[in-house]
Amino acid sequence: MTSAPVGGSPQRVGGIARVTGQQEYLADIHLPGEGHAKLVTLPVAHARLVAIDASVAEALPGVQFVMTPADLPDPIPRFGPQFNDRPVLAVGEALYHGEPVAAVVAETREIAEAAARLVRVEYEELPAAVTVAAALAADAPLVRDPKLRPDDALASTNVLREHRYTWGDVDTTTADLVVEHDYSFPMVTHFAIEPHAVIAAPDDDGIAVWSSIQHPNWLQRILAQVLGLPLAKVRVHAPDPGGAFGGKQHAKYEPLVAFMARRAGRPVRLVLSLEETFQAVRRAAAEVHVRTGLMADGTIAFQDVAADYLIGAYADIADRVVGKGSYPGCGPYRVPAARIVARAVLSHTLPSTAFRGFGNPQVNWAVESNLTDGALALGLDPLELRLRNLARRGEAFIPFDTPADGDWQQAVHRAAELIDWFGPKPPGRGRGIAVGIKSGPTTGLSYATVRLLADGSIVVYAGTSDMGQGARTVFAQIAAQELGAPLDWITVVMGDTVVVPYDQQTSASRSTVLMGNAVLSACRDIQAKLRAMAARLHGLDESSIVVDAGVVRLPDRELSILDVLKPGLGRLGGEVVGNGEARKEAEPGHPLGGSAAFFEFNCTAVEAEVDRDTGDVTLTRYATVSDVGKAINPLQVRMQDEGAAIQGLGHTLMEHFIFDDGGRIRNLGAIDYRIPTSMDLPLEMISEIVENGDGPGPYGAKGMSEGAILCVSAAVAAAVRDATGAVIRDLPLSPERVWQALNEQSRVPEEVVR
Amino acid sequence: MTATVAITLRVNGRLRSIEVAPHRTLLDVLRDDIRLTGAKECCLVGECGACTVIVDGRTVDSCLVLAVEVDGGEVTTAEGLARDGTLTPLQQAFLDEGAVQCGFCIPGQVVSAHALLAENPDPTLEEIQEGLAGNLCRCGCYWQISDAVIAAARNDAR
Amino acid sequence: MQPFAYARPASLAETVALLERHGPEARLLAGGTDLIIRLRDGTLTPSIVVDLKRVAELRPGIRERDGRLVIGATTVMTDIMANAVVRRDFAALAEAAAVVGSVQIRNRATLAGNLCNASPAADTSPSLLVYDATLVVTGPDGERRIPLDAFFVRSGVTTLAHGELVTSIELPLPTAARGSVHLRRTRRRGHDLASVTLACSVDGAGITRLAYGSVGPRPLLVGDESGVLADPAAPEAAREAILDRLLADARPSPRSMRSGPDYRLAMLRVLARRGIRAASERLVSRRAT
Repeated sequence: MTSAPVGGSPQRVGGIARVTGQQEYLADIHLPGEGHAKLVTLPVAHARLVAIDASVAEALPGVQFVMTPADLPDPIPRFGPQFNDRPVLAVGEALYHGEPVAAVVAETREIAEAAARLVRVEYEELPAAVTVAAALAADAPLVRDPKLRPDDALASTNVLREHRYTWGDVDTTTADLVVEHDYSFPMVTHFAIEPHAVIAAPDDDGIAVWSSIQHPNWLQRILAQVLGLPLAKVRVHAPDPGGAFGGKQHAKYEPLVAFMARRAGRPVRLVLSLEETFQAVRRAAAEVHVRTGLMADGTIAFQDVAADYLIGAYADIADRVVGKGSYPGCGPYRVPAARIVARAVLSHTLPSTAFRGFGNPQVNWAVESNLTDGALALGLDPLELRLRNLARRGEAFIPFDTPADGDWQQAVHRAAELIDWFGPKPPGRGRGIAVGIKSGPTTGLSYATVRLLADGSIVVYAGTSDMGQGARTVFAQIAAQELGAPLDWITVVMGDTVVVPYDQQTSASRSTVLMGNAVLSACRDIQAKLRAMAARLHGLDESSIVVDAGVVRLPDRELSILDVLKPGLGRLGGEVVGNGEARKEAEPGHPLGGSAAFFEFNCTAVEAEVDRDTGDVTLTRYATVSDVGKAINPLQVRMQDEGAAIQGLGHTLMEHFIFDDGGRIRNLGAIDYRIPTSMDLPLEMISEIVENGDGPGPYGAKGMSEGAILCVSAAVAAAVRDATGAVIRDLPLSPERVWQALNEQSRVPEEVVR
Repeated sequence: MTATVAITLRVNGRLRSIEVAPHRTLLDVLRDDIRLTGAKECCLVGECGACTVIVDGRTVDSCLVLAVEVDGGEVTTAEGLARDGTLTPLQQAFLDEGAVQCGFCIPGQVVSAHALLAENPDPTLEEIQEGLAGNLCRCGCYWQISDAVIAAARNDAR
Repeated sequence: MQPFAYARPASLAETVALLERHGPEARLLAGGTDLIIRLRDGTLTPSIVVDLKRVAELRPGIRERDGRLVIGATTVMTDIMANAVVRRDFAALAEAAAVVGSVQIRNRATLAGNLCNASPAADTSPSLLVYDATLVVTGPDGERRIPLDAFFVRSGVTTLAHGELVTSIELPLPTAARGSVHLRRTRRRGHDLASVTLACSVDGAGITRLAYGSVGPRPLLVGDESGVLADPAAPEAAREAILDRLLADARPSPRSMRSGPDYRLAMLRVLARRGIRAASERLVSRRAT
């Protein structure tokens, strides 16, 4: 090997299968004798269910049965990662447009679709609350039956939970300038190019489920719970997802399909359409009110943030999104007094879930925009204001959490430099800058097993899902680094709960850090065994031997691992097995249940040009700089940072669900839900990283991949404002909205911010 | 049920005679009958390009083509680009430039890029971005994909 | 998708006979980029789909004949945008064809299909209106010609009679220098349905023609023969007054989710101004060469 595996950018593990069309994604898998499922949904947001007549549908040739709530245990099993609130099928009421009320199993997908149209559902449409304002209105229809919320002071409202984080005293802190505004963030959907899919099959006395899921072990637990099975009888196969971005973290229709497969006595597959996928996952919309107190020199005196996140009809993981996403809402700054109040507001919309950035982009948009507002009102450079307040390494910027774990100013300086922040501005162009921060995992548990086979090749078992971030490659690089095998001698096994040891989850940019540490520790376990082997073989004391980077160092010479392994294993051969574990324990009393394992920090700087006639925004230069500790695979880091930035440009410039008055999504599907194409990019995009080896992961790595989405909107809006003077506080910055803002600006004399 | 129609098409060089119902798309037939699953199903409205294949020399969204329309035609899918297990320079460039994250859109991207280079061996960045705008990548590998096309074009020129 | 029968007629006569026999139960298939979406979503449920791609008389192609450019009904956008005559003499059509969806769509979508869908947002309609296109139509009573401006009724409805189909589109070749351009507004730069689509031509006599779509139930063709619009030295107030008149019939739908009526009307005005400027510049450069 010419260079160290870690820190290089080897070809992606699984890459060849992906460029040749051979990679098997979930919908490419077929089981013998499988039946095809189709969901039955209603064209309304909220309805009282009166009766379901499946007789016509069931009479269609090729239909095996129509599953209705009556065919499921009573009371209907409910599940969810935070609350057991989502029923396997809607009972009593359907609570959002797209919620399944029944499902068909048939011989072909086509018959299932035809039969689904023949299921007669008698229902009474009820008023629906699909906006924050409607859900919080005094007479709002309640999404959750108060009877299901005993001893809950909020039971008679649509607020599921309120999260409060405070320090200092906002009410008594004075400031030279108070900037107070409302911001809104749109409801957007993940739009992974792979629609969600699940297959379930009876498996002796248990169940086997194939799902494009990010957390196979969590799904295993949910299935065991609803089916009443021991964990060992629930086998979850999780083929690499075709994009997930948080949308595939938690169980959606897996319990339903599992029940259907058990009843059908054969495998049942459900491959959602893109439209159905849109009705299954989304990001929470948010309305955020910010009061920022600033001193004349730009020092932050206080931040007072009230964020209402519009979650859906069931909680999924959304309440955690609200709690954890709003928590670092004051940003990576020294803030003497802070009050953050974030509410998870239930609504008659599809359940919102995790989505890259996990609740942070919503508040970041508001707070960072408000800081730009304040800087301009004070006549300060927005970059200068940020640097003045930015927490330095070791500062406890959130008093009860991990202190600042990076030299964050480096990223800020670099991003500014990359767009020539202080250089002359070409006419008509404007510049904007913003920073973002996100807490890494607060708890975690990952196990890994590594087997060093007799010929020196390696099998790594890691329960992470490789959904595009390249986890297989990173784990292979770690094993190659530690045990000296070439990368193409390493197989990484994932996605099978019967074979692969437990991993809590693939989320919060944790896998390189937590699973990476587990793989590293399994490799070190093998190194220790090799040391003992070498000591035995050469009659040395173990303490005199060092195993490192694929080399066994004896006091007088160096041996390759194979030189020790072969004689060490002896005539029967065999292998050396290493086990590793990475654990981050919960911290009782901490507002999030645990402090951040690391922070993801990013600075984004943008130069933009605006067509004043049409409102078109052209990003002429775009720089994104993330503090990643150590890039184990710099190419994969760059791909993810740029990908996150482009995804962020989606919600910044064009994406949003549009509802009709009845709460139905009007722009279901790819024709009218627009995401960025290759023609919607900045003219120039530069991504760079800061590497100080100061992360808790292998070789000093921090988690990454979400940082670059956090502050896209605030940076772009600031550049638009700088170019035109137009202030926009609602996303997306569509041409129409920018045009409206420009028009208002020309009608009203110069707005006074104070 | 409507009667099926016998059609013959050459897929990745191999002649196939199949009976298809007229309402089944080329995508359905490739995935379900021929079991070539490189073409992916996503939007089914010709917006995402995940199902892109080449029919008689031109890229199409195979979700918007009936299989019967292709009777007598020649189809190339992502599986048909590499010969004898050797990646094409374009496929290799996708890997070298980091154009593959989750990979779900990649068969369609590779097919579109392959056809683009066949038509225009030395495309500009703008031509690449326009030529591949019908292939969505939600991982956002657009820069890396255009880098790969440029690298493959250079490689070809050498 | 609901099942249907499939016919692949070899001749025009056979096609017309099929249309007569099946009436509204038959749907014509050319490129399929719109039809198949509607078959799948169930908005169309024909009992038979008639594929035009093997009809001998309907082979794709672009030919010059008797002072006209004749574009075969099944000619796809890719071939239209690449055709040298179209690019030289009908630049707005070449530009419009180039933005009808992605490469994959343009490789299938046909000009006749784009027109017969009669979508108010169809990108090729304005340019063809500006160029005085005529549709050649065949039906049970033989062939007839329909000027394009007399073809569109409202979204999805045309003056084609039952049993009739478009066999070609004819464009008079220009006899004098002309500058023309197609412009549109979309929600993103990547391919998208137009929220306003507009074509403009200006000739040496100072006649300006504008056609625009996506701002009402059908695309509209208007013109100014006073020479004022084409005259860059004319007072702005005079030019705007003419535009007021020419654009007065635009009635964008308030129900569209693609953009609001105020924005569409404002953009129509912007595109008109820009179109006149661009077409005039092209006229000047054409005369110079």
